[in-house]
Amino acid sequence: MSFRALKIFSGCFLLVFLLNSISVFAQADLANGKELFEGNCTACHAIHKDKVGPALKDIKKRRDLTWIKKFIRNSQNVIKVEKDPYAVALYAKYNNTEMTAFPSFKDNEIENIVAYIMDESVKTPAGPVPTTPSPEGQPQVNTSGGNDTLILILTVITLVLVAVTLIVFLTVIRRYLKDREDKLADEDKEIVNQGFDVMAVLRHKAFIIVVSLLLVGAGVRSLWVGALSIGVEQNYAPKQPIPFSHKLHAGNLKIDCGYCHTGVYRGKQANIPGVNICMNCHSAVKEGPSGKENIAALVEAYNNKKPIQWVRVHNLPDLSYFNHSQHTVAGGIECVKCHGEIDTMSVVRQASNLTMGWCINCHRETSVNGKDNAYYDRLLKFHEEEVKKGKRKGEMKAVHIGGTECSKCHY
Amino acid sequence: MRKVFLTISGLVSGLAMLSSCNHNFDHIPVHEKPRWEFSPQMYHSEAYEPVTQIVDKERYKEHYNTMPGNNGMNLRLPVKGTVKRQYSEGAEYKFMEPYKIVKDCLQYAAATVTSPLEVNDKMLEEGKVLYTRYCQHCHGAEGKGDGPVSEKFMGIANLAGGQLVNVTPAHIFHVITHGKGRMLSHGSQVLPEERWKIAHYVKEKLQKQQ
Repeated sequence: MSFRALKIFSGCFLLVFLLNSISVFAQADLANGKELFEGNCTACHAIHKDKVGPALKDIKKRRDLTWIKKFIRNSQNVIKVEKDPYAVALYAKYNNTEMTAFPSFKDNEIENIVAYIMDESVKTPAGPVPTTPSPEGQPQVNTSGGNDTLILILTVITLVLVAVTLIVFLTVIRRYLKDREDKLADEDKEIVNQGFDVMAVLRHKAFIIVVSLLLVGAGVRSLWVGALSIGVEQNYAPKQPIPFSHKLHAGNLKIDCGYCHTGVYRGKQANIPGVNICMNCHSAVKEGPSGKENIAALVEAYNNKKPIQWVRVHNLPDLSYFNHSQHTVAGGIECVKCHGEIDTMSVVRQASNLTMGWCINCHRETSVNGKDNAYYDRLLKFHEEEVKKGKRKGEMKAVHIGGTECSKCHY
Repeated sequence: MRKVFLTISGLVSGLAMLSSCNHNFDHIPVHEKPRWEFSPQMYHSEAYEPVTQIVDKERYKEHYNTMPGNNGMNLRLPVKGTVKRQYSEGAEYKFMEPYKIVKDCLQYAAATVTSPLEVNDKMLEEGKVLYTRYCQHCHGAEGKGDGPVSEKFMGIANLAGGQLVNVTPAHIFHVITHGKGRMLSHGSQVLPEERWKIAHYVKEKLQKQQ
């Protein structure tokens, strides 16, 4: 091999190595840029569309690197101290939203991010994101009870068929007997020729007694049921001043009950949230599935410092004491146990009847979790002794520690 | 005959009554207006109970108890200058003083304030419960800013990575108290002690999960 050939070969090798290393370097660049972009920027920026801040597509063609670095490290300085006209206009365009300052970014890190953005800018954006169907608009399919209705319809049809068949049989037999009337005995003739007298049945004493008894019974029963349900507000679903959907907020968006009803783990009242809690989200979210109107009413109430008079749904009578935290913290009871599937209700309705029988029933059935809690130690010991004596059965229930004492709730 | 009639009618009526003893109230239809009450004076507190508003003056007459003035609000802000007494197991005196650092002094608070709580497993567990309750729907279960609300709200900080890995718990405490950027103050919802628990949970669990 000549020296010249070796030279060319080594030159080529060097070139390839260099190119290779450059491409490796460029890849590391993009990967680092991607990581930084996704960790710090995607909350507010996207590449192809405006989010909280502007779309960053082709940013390098619009602004030079020194400006980008300056702005990322301290945008407020660029806007308020330097009064850069482009930055001021941008600030005004995006509702004076301050961009978080990132003073800790190094020069090459910012370059990596910009390189990543420029690389992504060339790519076409992914197809339009399928919008989630509005949760309110879906028709409700009632699946429960369908079986019962089918059985009922089938039974009715069968009974009607049986009745028709019987009537047909009767007519045929009667016609047959009439044809041979002369061969029948007198008693049988009477039966065959018998007409059906409705008035005779109505005037019969037994009929009158039975019907009047049934009427009296039904009357007494409906009176009794009606009297019992006075003061029971099950299925009460009042109209609220601003229609608020728990199905949307607690169901679809999975916001915890305790986020708004702040008192539920702390005290007697679960609390109706103040408008400031609504504004935690609705400072930015101005449009929902039902449009802009209702949220606008909320924002107006907040700006005018006028409370919204929500209509109370659940009201336990003043004659009984109820404490939420006792049940949610000490008892460990889930909200849905009493309030029903709130996260599926567009309009909240009272799911339980809140009668005393309902309270007491739960107190009889619910076991007390006294493990690792010194308060219950002696109660648990006493309970075990009672079980050994045969006076009690099973686990310690709320009723065993005074859950049905009158004065626990009424005083 | 009369005796028989009386016995039978008594039996039927009695059965009718008994049949309604074990009664549920599913027959009550969904209704918008409240139904009858036995005695409103036993149902509605005459004292001004929090969040109890009885606004229908004609129906409830003397039990009408919406606060006069103050826009009819029963819930009111504490009197200015009053200090809320706060108690916490093991750290009674650490939460006695209100948090006085104002919103703008985030850098100062992050650098100087130290947590009054001791970091241990039990506390982090409580922190997780609180994080799930107050933060998860926006910041996501793993703190990546991808909770269900983030699609609508946008601009939610990534707690698990990025720049926030370097902040102190006090920084998180301060931001929960006063808010930052698009996030508004959560001081009215989350107690100081709970804020510290959340801050430690974010630092110790969410940011160290990789």
